[in-house]
Amino acid sequence: MSTQDERDKLELLQGTLDMLILRTLLFGPAHGHAIAHAIERGSDDVLQIEHGSLYPALHRLVKQRFIAAKDGLSENNRKAKFYSLTAKGRQHLTAENSKWDRLAQAIARIMRPSTEPTGEEVQP
Amino acid sequence: MKFWRRREESLENELQDYVDRETRLNIEAGMPPEEARFAAQRKLGSASLVKEDTREAWGWSWAERLWQDLRYGSRMLLKNPGFTLIAVISLAIGIGANSAMFSLADALILRPLPVSHPSEVVTLGFNASVSGFGSIVASYRDYLDFRNAAKSFDGLVAFTNYSFGFSKGPDTVSQMKMGMLVTGNFFRVLGVEPERGRAFRDDEDQVPGRDAVVILGHDLWEKDFGADPSILGRKVRLSGIEFTVIGVAPARFTGMDLYFRPSFFVPVAMWPRFVTNPKDRPLEVRDYRALSVKGRLKPGVTVAQAQAELVGIAKALERAYPDTNKNRSVAVRTEFQKRLEGSPPDAEIAAMLILLAMAVLLVACANVAGLLLSRAPVRAREMALRLAIGAGRPRLIRQLLTESLLLAIAGGLLGLAVGYAGVDFLSRLQPPTDSPIQMSIQLDQRALLFSLTVSLLSAIFFGLAPALQTTRTDVISALRTAGAETPHRRRLLGRNALVVGQVALSLVLLMVSTFIYRGFQQTLGAGPGFRTDHLVMMTFDPSLVRYTEAQTQQFFRQVVERARSVPGVKSATLASAAPMEPNNMSSMSVLPEGYQIPKDQQNAALFGSMVDENFFDTMEMRIMRGRGFRTADTAGAPLVAVVNEQLAKRYWPGRDPIGKRFHLDSADAPWVEIVGVAKTTKYLWIAEAPVEFLYLPLAQHPRSRMTLLAQSSGDAASLAEPLRQVVRELDANQPVYEVRTFDDFYRYKAVGQPNVIIRTVGAMGLMGLVLAMVGLYGLVAYAATRRSREIGIRMAIGAARGTVLRMVLKQGLVLALIGIGIGLAASIGAERLLNAIFESAGKDFITYLLVAPALLAITALAVYIPARRASRIDPMRVLRYE
Repeated sequence: MSTQDERDKLELLQGTLDMLILRTLLFGPAHGHAIAHAIERGSDDVLQIEHGSLYPALHRLVKQRFIAAKDGLSENNRKAKFYSLTAKGRQHLTAENSKWDRLAQAIARIMRPSTEPTGEEVQP
Repeated sequence: MKFWRRREESLENELQDYVDRETRLNIEAGMPPEEARFAAQRKLGSASLVKEDTREAWGWSWAERLWQDLRYGSRMLLKNPGFTLIAVISLAIGIGANSAMFSLADALILRPLPVSHPSEVVTLGFNASVSGFGSIVASYRDYLDFRNAAKSFDGLVAFTNYSFGFSKGPDTVSQMKMGMLVTGNFFRVLGVEPERGRAFRDDEDQVPGRDAVVILGHDLWEKDFGADPSILGRKVRLSGIEFTVIGVAPARFTGMDLYFRPSFFVPVAMWPRFVTNPKDRPLEVRDYRALSVKGRLKPGVTVAQAQAELVGIAKALERAYPDTNKNRSVAVRTEFQKRLEGSPPDAEIAAMLILLAMAVLLVACANVAGLLLSRAPVRAREMALRLAIGAGRPRLIRQLLTESLLLAIAGGLLGLAVGYAGVDFLSRLQPPTDSPIQMSIQLDQRALLFSLTVSLLSAIFFGLAPALQTTRTDVISALRTAGAETPHRRRLLGRNALVVGQVALSLVLLMVSTFIYRGFQQTLGAGPGFRTDHLVMMTFDPSLVRYTEAQTQQFFRQVVERARSVPGVKSATLASAAPMEPNNMSSMSVLPEGYQIPKDQQNAALFGSMVDENFFDTMEMRIMRGRGFRTADTAGAPLVAVVNEQLAKRYWPGRDPIGKRFHLDSADAPWVEIVGVAKTTKYLWIAEAPVEFLYLPLAQHPRSRMTLLAQSSGDAASLAEPLRQVVRELDANQPVYEVRTFDDFYRYKAVGQPNVIIRTVGAMGLMGLVLAMVGLYGLVAYAATRRSREIGIRMAIGAARGTVLRMVLKQGLVLALIGIGIGLAASIGAERLLNAIFESAGKDFITYLLVAPALLAITALAVYIPARRASRIDPMRVLRYE
């Protein structure tokens, strides 16, 4: 990985990791690595999960009963822990989603009074 | 444990899985395998940190935290063995003293009745206090009236202790045994299930004298019948009457009294058959008040409600039976109240000893708190480090309290050993007697529970302040200046207050124990006021072998006559109670001619005994005025009495009581004339305040139970056998009991009991002293170490050793002196309190002169040793070390 790459990557805002994990699990159960991979690939590697923050987050969500953990076999017959969304987690995700939308809009309104398309800034 | 291990393994696998997958992705992206794995690991971050964070997300259960704290705490304590040892031993002494004193108080007043739901059971009846010893009594008629009218109770029982001549069959010689007459519902209402056989039926106390059935006490069944399983249906003889055994009481049922263990239980309806005087009709006479009545309160009914109801019933009784029930106040008392009122000296001794034990514990706690506080600066760095890496303050306080708890528990365990030794020592309080009177001082579950509670409370007590102090740390400065921090004013103030308090408290402890010690010594030195040596005593009760009234008196006359002619006997006398034998003393009341009893008072009862004409000579009790009894004071002669000085002072202050008259017990009784005044002696126990006492001539007031006292010219003990022989010649079946020299009896009553108390008190004073000295020494030594740098600098710039020594000495001595000052002030208060309880004469200046300088000397020593060590500091070494 080049230094250039590193600079382009963004650290996650506090609390958003939980939401992203829930969002990823909306498509079905997945193990830890797959979740991290999905978030990184889904954001074109812009979002990087901070070192060591994934597993504490997963276990926290289990404790809050937003997701459930189950031992299962992965595609190559290896034992792995699969996480899946619970009904409570689904509700929580909806709530978080709308909260996020409002927050993002509010921030965007302040940062960009005109309606410039976002994203161009990021691309060189 | 299994769950935790599994969870750890699962996390380990999960992380491994992540690295494996990431590695594979990296290889697919074209990295060499070695580098791929390395990159994957880097991406995960520090595995142990991830694990730590994840564990944090799991959250800790309180049990895990406690376990963690305990492990950490015990490591810390083991790392400082000196500190731990001193703390644990201090606490062991404090807690052990409390366990032992609790056991004593338990044996004296606290232990609940051995019945089911003892807290519901209350005592009720008419007040009858004698010289401050409260008792609540009722006649059988009163009992029936209460039972029929009262709605507050789920059953009322009545009972009384009674002596019987017990024999296993018609051919064996009777022995005196104490049993209980009880109502038919006794076992059912109290919820006591016989171990064998059955309880009495309600109809077994309906017809006087019909149902000769008996329930044996567990002890009697084991000792006299070898726990014979086929005991039921067996015939035994009680005072010559044949009884059928129908049951055996369970071992845990030791009777309704803390000391007295009845040998068996007999229906109260059998009472008339044991009475030898035909005038006594215990089941019919309304004012024959010899029963105790207990009731089980209905759920929700308070003692006050029951009392109110009983007052109403008593009013109705007073209207119906003015002769017997006039001016009689009723009372409902919980068991605890009853015991407190029943024997104030016991309650006072127990309260005093417990207070002293608590003072010892307080000193011990102060010791440990001081030690912990001293360690606060040492641990400040550790605490700061833990705060800096994110531990919350509550977490640290909990950690420190857990350490205190560990100390307290270790101290409590060791304290039990101390307590055992104490209980063993206190068990010497057993009275020498043939009757089943036993004081069972034991460390039972309740004492264990008490000790545990005391340990926990003391942990909070001595641990909380230091914990708060230790965690109140300025992180930055603590980390920067490792250990050389200047103590805060407040911290110093707290520690100084501890030292002052300890010294003051231990001074009070020492003073109080010296007061008591010297008080008892003085009383013992002054003697009881009568002869105690060269006397032998024995007791008989011919009614136990069914003598009639006339036969009984004939027997006594012959016994005392023949006893006088036994070689070696100088004189012999009969008395209804030997001196200092309160159990056999009679309660009587005096209504002097022309004396108005204050309205709020009933005619006060006092103790008295019936004695023959040789009593005052044999016991060498001085008659101050008038005369003693004479042979001429017979049943037909004018009624006479001898009062003691105290009684004379009460009713005839400043006047000559000789020739004055009074009614005995009731206003319509004939006049009794006072013919003599006896010197006030000790009547109940050696340290009592002056008691009013009345002597009546035996011939005018015959009794069936009598004690023979014979004065010997030689060894008193050698007279026991010839005197027994005298009785045997008169009647081989006559039970003789309580045969001993009066010296033995007195030694126990006057010397044994107080000695145990004196030594207990002294031991506690000593414990307090040693603890306070250890504390003082530790604190001064510690303060000197903390100041070693300062001392080093002072010496480096020219301070002489003497100056340094004085400086450190002064610091400690000022505290000790303040402590001694406060302690002296408190001791004056304590002395007043003691004077109010025990009879002792005025101010005991010698104690002040003895104890205060001694304590000062010892504190000076405790301060001097560490101060001297401080002055020996080599300035070069200290400063270089810094």
